[in-house]
Amino acid sequence: MEAAASKRPLLLRLVEDYWGILLLLLAWQLWVVLNRFNPIVMPTPVAVLGDLVDHPMVYVRNVGITLAVAAFGLIAGMAVGTGLAVAAWFSPVASGLLNPLTVLFSSVPVVALIPVIARLLGYDTSTVLAIVVIITFFPSFVFASSGLRSPPPGSEDLFRVLGASRLSVLWRLALPAAMPNLAIAFKLAAAHAILAAMVAEFLMGTSGLGYLFAKTKSDFQTEQAFGASVVATVISATAFLLAGLVEKRVRARYA
Amino acid sequence: MTAGARNALLGAMGIALFLALWETIGQLKLAGISWPPLSAVLEMLTDEGRRPLFQRALVATLQETAQGYLWGTTAGLALAALAHLVPPLRRGSDRLAAVLNSVPSIALGPIFLVLLSRDSTPAAVSSIHVFFIVFVSMGSGLQRATPAHRDLFAVLGADRLKRFWRLELPAALPALASGLRLAWPAALIGAIIGEWFGASRGIGILIINAMQNFQIVLLWCAVLLAVGASLVFYGLLTLLERAAYARFG
Amino acid sequence: MAGGASITIDRASKRFALAGSSEGVLALTDLSLEIAPGEFVAVLGPSGCGKSTLLRLVASLEQPSGGSVSIGGAAPGLVSARHALGVAFQDHALLPWLSIHDNIALPFRIAGRRVDEAAIARLIELVGLGRFETARPRQLSGGMRQRASIARALVLEPEVLLLDEPFGALDAVTRRQMNVELQRIWSARQITTMLITHSVDEALFLADRVVVMSGRPGRIVREVVVPFARPRAPAVMRSEDFHRLVDDLTAALEVPEPESSPPTGGEAIGSVTA
Repeated sequence: MEAAASKRPLLLRLVEDYWGILLLLLAWQLWVVLNRFNPIVMPTPVAVLGDLVDHPMVYVRNVGITLAVAAFGLIAGMAVGTGLAVAAWFSPVASGLLNPLTVLFSSVPVVALIPVIARLLGYDTSTVLAIVVIITFFPSFVFASSGLRSPPPGSEDLFRVLGASRLSVLWRLALPAAMPNLAIAFKLAAAHAILAAMVAEFLMGTSGLGYLFAKTKSDFQTEQAFGASVVATVISATAFLLAGLVEKRVRARYA
Repeated sequence: MTAGARNALLGAMGIALFLALWETIGQLKLAGISWPPLSAVLEMLTDEGRRPLFQRALVATLQETAQGYLWGTTAGLALAALAHLVPPLRRGSDRLAAVLNSVPSIALGPIFLVLLSRDSTPAAVSSIHVFFIVFVSMGSGLQRATPAHRDLFAVLGADRLKRFWRLELPAALPALASGLRLAWPAALIGAIIGEWFGASRGIGILIINAMQNFQIVLLWCAVLLAVGASLVFYGLLTLLERAAYARFG
Repeated sequence: MAGGASITIDRASKRFALAGSSEGVLALTDLSLEIAPGEFVAVLGPSGCGKSTLLRLVASLEQPSGGSVSIGGAAPGLVSARHALGVAFQDHALLPWLSIHDNIALPFRIAGRRVDEAAIARLIELVGLGRFETARPRQLSGGMRQRASIARALVLEPEVLLLDEPFGALDAVTRRQMNVELQRIWSARQITTMLITHSVDEALFLADRVVVMSGRPGRIVREVVVPFARPRAPAVMRSEDFHRLVDDLTAALEVPEPESSPPTGGEAIGSVTA
């Protein structure tokens, strides 16, 4: 597969892999040029690229902030989700109490909670962090729970016959068996974490890409607002891609 | 008592515990004035005088969400089918979908504002969210027909389109149904974010206005409306998903 | 060097609860079986006759509804708690994330004991997996996975060895090879062994004694002491005596089932216990 891909001529590969994205950018450029939009209303992709090249430091600083909050929230959310899943695995009562609640919560539009959380935690980075934690918590809990409960066939009987303690079953069987599922949760949550952080920053942040977008937009620096969006798109797509590679490796290791 | 009944009881207790906790924190003001008791929120939500306000917002948001859901589903299905039937297009369409999904929703708002209109923006943002989920679930669903079945169709002399119509599409329906279930909350989020870019009414508008005017109970009412709108349809789509698994899974 | 503990099954019965049935399904009834220290007993029976349930009682994976089961005079649960049971299932149950070496070392780690590298090396050699210590289960053939699973069952030098259709998922040729292998491995250790199988050849070739079960509810209908001297060469399977015993046991397996058997039978039990 990989070898075959590298044998294709570069141009063909570019067209085959990126025809959709190239088409989209081309359509954007033509749309703006043909309609003669004022750059304040809608800049061309070329103009956005120009702003990226002219003011790189503005972007770098805000990307750093958003990435840091997203990464920290992602780790915290996955830790809490996995921790609760382990608690539910240990105790049927905890599992019975938690399961319907998490099903309910996983269908809640989290964006609607941002203002409420902001009222509780304040209009700053802690709210952004809380949103990222909440949004990454649910997939980790759901995927970890099902992963902990699907060990390889026969292995649970084996551990019982070998006289394994509950802790030993958790450590040597259930947790490793849950790793591929946790990797899926990680992949789903990684891209989400960045986008959720951005929405929260947009509404009430004081820094980061989402804030940059909101501020430049209201100052009519539309090119920079779109620059922030393009950067966000690229980093969240990259995060998704990298997390996908991590998932592949984990799957090869544990499944 | 059977395991099922015990789990149902425990689950109900879990939810009751959560609601009781909410009420207690609100009554005792443990989280300050920003956390009203559940009873106060419900009281305002059922208040006759405010009914038209809530009804207008809810109807507007549901309309946008339904519209976006429909557009997104159509686009997702079309691209997934195209990529499946014309393999050279597959890699490119995967990447296009992944990039579209990575565009921050708040950036989609201003684009659709210019491209469409104020009132179509919520549905358009919503449709992008739905598009990705439906595209991915349909794409993986179409791969679910087993090699043995494909061989059978080949031996029977079915052409590409017949195989798609009689084998791959039915085999994809359960995965598609799961996608449709997950797409609803995403559609609702899209509509709410889309409303922030100048829609005239909707739950998103209600949330923003309540937030900016420090009407805390009203803010929680709006959030609860959003949660309700999400849950009801999520529940219905879960039933649809079960039916699809029972029939085609 | 016969070793291990005796297994005593005394009038054991086992009833499974079944949705929609007040009395459930009777999988075993009034079954008694005594296995001497160092004896190899094969339990033969049609699918769904409760033979796996019998093994699960000895493995303390199930509790008898009536009667008693003991290993060397102790309850199976106590024996399992002191990590003295060895078991291999039809599903090899190797952990996919561990190498063959680490899979075989797993019982030491579960028991909280120091990993005896010399014992592992000897066993890996004995089951003929010398060059595959670092391989993952996925990279091995079905037969090799079962060798690893048997090595794992033996690594703690258990008091009894429980084998539940260990070769049930293998093709006929590999299965025959594995029987020869198991015979050789067992001759080196001679631990009290209970083998569950539905293959008459396998039972006769490996065991000192074969018991035949009939199903619904499971009970012993026939017992045969296998007369062939050890070590047994594969040539034994071509002898006149072997064929006569095969015919004899096959006939015993085909005893018609009692009319009163409940409509939900063996397969349901199998899925309950799986």
